[in-house]
Amino acid sequence: MKIVMCVKETPSTTAEKRFGADMRLERRKEDAIINPFDEYSIEEGLRQQEKHGGETIVLSMGPATATDTIRKALAMGADRGVLVSDPALAGSDAVATARVLAAALQKIGFDLVLFGSAAADAYGGIVPSAVAEFLGLPLLSFATKLDEDGTTAKIERQAEVGYNTVETQTPALVSVMKSINEPRYPSMKGIMQSKKKTIDTMSLADLGIESGTVGAGASGEKALSAEKITTQRKGEIYMGNDGAAERVVAFLVEQKVL
Amino acid sequence: MFLRLDDEQQEIRDLVRKFAQQEIAPHAEQWDEESHFPRELFPAIGELGLAGTLVPEDYGGAALSRLTGTVIYEQIAQADMSTAIWLAVHNMVAGLIAKFGNDEQRKRWLPQMAAGETLGAFALSEAHAGSDAASIRCLARRDGDDYILNGTKFWVTSAGQADVYAVMVRTDHEGGARGISTLVVEKDTPGFSIGKLERKMGLHASPTGELIFEDCRLPATNLLGNEGDGLKISLSSLDGGRINIGAIATGVAQAALDVSTRYAQDRVAFGKPIGAFEGIQFMLADMAMKIEASRLLVYQAAFKMDEGEPATPYAAMAKCFATDSAMAVTTDAVQILGGAGYVRDWPVERYMRDAKVAQIFEGANQIQRIVVARSLIGSIAKVR
Ligand SMILES: Cc1cc2nc3c(=O)[nH]c(=O)nc-3n(C[C@H](O)[C@H](O)[C@H](O)COP(=O)(O)OP(=O)(O)OC[C@H]3O[C@@H](n4cnc5c(N)ncnc54)[C@H](O)[C@@H]3O)c2cc1C
Repeated sequence: MKIVMCVKETPSTTAEKRFGADMRLERRKEDAIINPFDEYSIEEGLRQQEKHGGETIVLSMGPATATDTIRKALAMGADRGVLVSDPALAGSDAVATARVLAAALQKIGFDLVLFGSAAADAYGGIVPSAVAEFLGLPLLSFATKLDEDGTTAKIERQAEVGYNTVETQTPALVSVMKSINEPRYPSMKGIMQSKKKTIDTMSLADLGIESGTVGAGASGEKALSAEKITTQRKGEIYMGNDGAAERVVAFLVEQKVL
Repeated sequence: MFLRLDDEQQEIRDLVRKFAQQEIAPHAEQWDEESHFPRELFPAIGELGLAGTLVPEDYGGAALSRLTGTVIYEQIAQADMSTAIWLAVHNMVAGLIAKFGNDEQRKRWLPQMAAGETLGAFALSEAHAGSDAASIRCLARRDGDDYILNGTKFWVTSAGQADVYAVMVRTDHEGGARGISTLVVEKDTPGFSIGKLERKMGLHASPTGELIFEDCRLPATNLLGNEGDGLKISLSSLDGGRINIGAIATGVAQAALDVSTRYAQDRVAFGKPIGAFEGIQFMLADMAMKIEASRLLVYQAAFKMDEGEPATPYAAMAKCFATDSAMAVTTDAVQILGGAGYVRDWPVERYMRDAKVAQIFEGANQIQRIVVARSLIGSIAKVR
């Protein structure tokens, strides 16, 4: 079985975020991490491989330096990496990204493609469905459990009450939720072995994609402004014995907690 | 001139930091309070590759450099010094078996040690022999294919928890330093028992205790190296051990500085955060300088060891400076937190209690100064 895990490099969730004049997030190399949501899809891919054998491939679209992020996934145990990188890709929106990933996936070949449920930078969560659309294949989204037997993939998806079971033929795409597993730590050996694993780089030309169909120019999505959300915690402190308890109770009743 | 960890070392540092902060730090206070040895964590440590840092890959180890080792211990000690200590002792013992053991001994112990299943301990000190290690009395008498071991070891880290003990014994009544040998004793050997466990000021999550040998019979195949190699074997671990203690001390000090800095930003007195007062700022600045200098000394000593250069005086400087610094930094951290620093709701009093022992074991700091001074006097004598 050939399993491809799509992985995005995102800024660390705790890194300070700055925006350029074009309202695009400035990405600093030292803040780069694996999109935390993708750790779950990497783990799931490795677990499926442990069960069924085959090959695990990490696919990422990003700057040339994103090989470092791919290596982190290889240190967890994936077999090899593919990076799609091209200057013309800068500013691609979710649909343009999906177009590129779909082309790369076709080129690599797969039985199963795994995604995280969203990326921690933009929280769009559109890429998995858009890739499925480009490929004309089913997407089992928001999986909290995945069973795969070589011909069908079956997932559980949390519903308002209980969960839904959804099944499809493979090849198929699956996006996973954080509750699906507990991602492993890479090991020292994994880190050292990751240096010897191959990461192939593909350009737009390699994928046969016209540069005019991707990148900022071809992206319908435009960021107009960015603002910092400031959360204000309003604490009210009631001191002493003098009716403090009554005021707390009154507050809780007002908030419909009691 | 190297002043930067390579990519792999940075990756390992980030991984160990994540592991230590998620799996160790949240429990450190409770382990200290309950004197709990976190054996349950050992397999996970093994899975990460941290239980065989000096073990060759053929025996399941990660065969890391000394420099990478310091990066690991600093991170673990930031979460919990006790864990860093027993792990460093374990790795040292596995390293000795890897270096001095024959192939059969390596196969027998190393894979399980590296996997985090078999825990190692090191027994040199005795009631009458601490700094003066060559004066040990514990006796191993040869009897056919066996040794019969009698005596008591003191101050053994992981006593009662470990599965294999590298024990320094006297195999020759007469010869002082040359009569010392190293035997590997497994925990359930008849005639071997655990005596008193110490009630310590700090380092509560790392048990320290007594080993008692009463006509304890061991096959001679448990001898590491040859008879008389014992002192050489324990001396060979000294530089590395000291460097690791320096790294651990740097980690505790860093943890203390991190808490102090945050506290100084938040705590308000006289209408200002206390970090706005120069008196506090200067303390923080001195703490930071001591930590940076410690780290560089530790890196330098480890780097020299990795390069195969003479490292002994550098290891002694790193151990001595970093542990003295850690004591000063953790004491200042308690001062900066004031009353909060003295109570157990905050971790700095634990850091201070833990840091103290690092000035004492693995060669007391007086001994380190002797080592450094000797290297100076010696070299001056040579030049003249
Ligand atoms: C928590 C803990 C864990 C330990 N773990 C282990 C272990 O796993 N295995 C093991 O074998 N040992 C272990 N030890 C023992 C430790 O290595 C010894 O405590 C240390 O070597 C000091 O020996 P001592 O306590 O006998 O002090 P002493 O040697 O009696 O020293 C007392 C004081 O005299 C000073 N002094 C001694 N000689 C000189 C000199 N020539 N010049 C100037 N000053 C001198 C010392 O610096 C010290 O200040 C541990 C100790 C502790 C506290």
